[in-house]
Amino acid sequence: MNGKKLKVVHYLNQFFGQIGGEEKADIGFVVKTGPIGPGLALQRALGEKAEVVTTVICGDNYFSKNPEQAGEEGLKLIEPYQPDLFFAGPAFAAGRYGVACGAICKALGEKLGIPVVTGMYDENPGVEMYRKFAFICKTGNSARDMAESISHMTRLAFKLISGEKEAHLVSRESLPRPVEYGYFSRIILRNEYTDRTAAERSVEKLLAKLRGEPFESEVILPKFEKVEPPAPVKDLRACEIILVSDGGLVPKGNPDGLSGRGNLRWTTYEIDTFLPANFKSSEYEIAHTGYFPVQILEDPNRLVPVDVLRDLVKEGKVGKLHPTFFSTSGNATVSQRCAEMGDEMGAEMKKRGVSAVLLTST
Amino acid sequence: MRLEIESIDIHDLKPGSKTYAKDRILYVNSKELEEILLKDSRLKSVDIHFVYPGEQVRIVNLLDVVQPRCKIDKVEADFPGFIGKMQIAGSGRTRSLRGITVLVSNPCTNRKYSALLDMSGVVAEMSRYGKMKHISMAPTMADGTEERDFEDAVKIAGLKTGVYLARGGEGHPVDEVEVYELDLPNLNEKSNLPRVAYYYQLYSPQHDHIGISDPCFYGTDVRNLTPTIIHPNEILDGGVVGAHTIRALDTYTIQNHGIIKELYKHHGKDLIFAGVVCGVANMEPVARSRQAMMASNLVKNVLGADGVVLTKIHGGLPHVDLALVAEECEKLGVKTAIFIQPLISYGTLADTLLFNAEAVNLIITVGATMERIRIPLDADRFLGGTADSKIYCPDPIVQHAGDPVIDVEQFLIAGVHDHLGDANIIVKEY
Repeated sequence: MNGKKLKVVHYLNQFFGQIGGEEKADIGFVVKTGPIGPGLALQRALGEKAEVVTTVICGDNYFSKNPEQAGEEGLKLIEPYQPDLFFAGPAFAAGRYGVACGAICKALGEKLGIPVVTGMYDENPGVEMYRKFAFICKTGNSARDMAESISHMTRLAFKLISGEKEAHLVSRESLPRPVEYGYFSRIILRNEYTDRTAAERSVEKLLAKLRGEPFESEVILPKFEKVEPPAPVKDLRACEIILVSDGGLVPKGNPDGLSGRGNLRWTTYEIDTFLPANFKSSEYEIAHTGYFPVQILEDPNRLVPVDVLRDLVKEGKVGKLHPTFFSTSGNATVSQRCAEMGDEMGAEMKKRGVSAVLLTST
Repeated sequence: MRLEIESIDIHDLKPGSKTYAKDRILYVNSKELEEILLKDSRLKSVDIHFVYPGEQVRIVNLLDVVQPRCKIDKVEADFPGFIGKMQIAGSGRTRSLRGITVLVSNPCTNRKYSALLDMSGVVAEMSRYGKMKHISMAPTMADGTEERDFEDAVKIAGLKTGVYLARGGEGHPVDEVEVYELDLPNLNEKSNLPRVAYYYQLYSPQHDHIGISDPCFYGTDVRNLTPTIIHPNEILDGGVVGAHTIRALDTYTIQNHGIIKELYKHHGKDLIFAGVVCGVANMEPVARSRQAMMASNLVKNVLGADGVVLTKIHGGLPHVDLALVAEECEKLGVKTAIFIQPLISYGTLADTLLFNAEAVNLIITVGATMERIRIPLDADRFLGGTADSKIYCPDPIVQHAGDPVIDVEQFLIAGVHDHLGDANIIVKEY
């Protein structure tokens, strides 16, 4: 911080930006100099170290109609001010406002790499949508909580910008504790030092469990939703089948950078060129460290049964083989990201008009 | 069974014309050590170096870390099956040198990854070994030796070095004597205290280099082990050694086994330590199920345990195996505490579980061993390899020990994580 005042930009909706109530919710972006409304409290909390140079205001309806696009629009307006810190809201329980605060934080954080801080009540839909992208302080459900919320947001922002290495993290990253700084975790995991070894904790907790006393598991069990299997395909002859595999089959050199473990990506390859009838084993590799890939590298059809499908199509038993293959690597990837990838692939398949999927794993 | 571990705190390591300890300084005759090690015809040469905290040195291609220990009152009893002749480890007197280790490197390795250690900078700060003094040893392969045979020879050379150093402590005053005594056949039957067993997942074959398992149990490999009962002292005293280039589990960690020591601490006070069941992770579903059924049966109906702590090894496959053992234990009415390690730093803690079993409801996060960390180079000297030695990254990145920054998973750093529970680490959502 070396003496120079930090430049702060603040985002507000039409109401807190003192433009008007619900009747003004459709207005687009307005940029004003200096702090406005809650910005005054923010300026007080920031004190001498930072200055709210600009306030950016937008109507809740305008923003929430297309949050990603509005976020980009906001980013373009804010970028020239070269802020060191960005605050949005707090939005408390207001849903559209929460989404707007989250989306604009996301756009700025990703592009400018500065700390982006907002505040919301835990039922605000903006929390789940944007907690990964912004530091969202926990607030009460209404503006009665304004002064305290702003003070939390400021405290967190100063901590973030300090870049102080955290002695409690094994990685020593500059990442404050969510519990200590009152923000929603960003759904990442970190190794933390603790005063008790895992051995001590396990025996102590097991003894409590054995005595029938309350005990605290370090992981709360997930609740999985039940997925109903779809109805069987009626007529394969009328079907265009797409092949998907999580076995990590990629061209030699792994040009799309799938990770061998904990992979979060998927990619597509055109079957005609990727896996022709006269394929060469030496042109593939397996981006998956969870199984012995020797047999598949000898013949990738063992993982992605293109040869059999080509025959079935020729024999008229299957309508068509979709020309593109979706490849990913499923090895210790979290279920949440797997579900997201499934949604992404499903949407892409719908677009492509395929009628059935053959998923092959290892 | 009664084991006495007599510890001597060593404050410094120095070269000497003979190997002995005086005033907490261990003098080491490297020449003599070299001669002993080179009696193994599988080794062509061996590089031996003294390593101290604060030195700008990076040790690579690590496959094991060993605490110097030797048997005092028995002959040919050190690491039985590996060095000593076959006999049961875990009773009598053992000398242990604290504050120093043997760092065992295989500079000829073809493995995808091996561990590393820096004696200064970020790594030295993170690792329990960063504050200790070490003998680094790195043998090279004699012509005509098979790759896997050589690995065994390197591991055994590491154990021999540990024994050699500990023998040097003879005659030095002892700082502490720990007694580990557990008379399993005559445990107090009338006690109202809960009986707690330990399930030790010893091994996973998933990283078997070129398909061959590492010996880690009385000189043999245990890939096809069906669950078995052993005395906890056998584990502390050299019956079990490290396998698979560390991965948060080296011989040092086993010699100082977190859970076993903790259960001993509580024994007779608020629990009865009912013994240990060993098992392994399996590649096949039938074997996995057999393991779970047999292990839980031993825990419940042979050891008579009310509760069990279960620890895991390595990554995802053992995670599944271990959860199945825990699930079967709970079915039999044995309460469980299970160690897990999130395999990725993305998602919630719940997202990272590889099982779905309501009864397995006490989960301990032993550490996200695969958390990534970027390490700036703070070394100008490399042992166990060179600045060109490859350093593994799960992303398709090729990196070397001498690069200005390396991007690694923490399990590659020796002495940070500990699958057996002796590290002060917990995993939290951020």
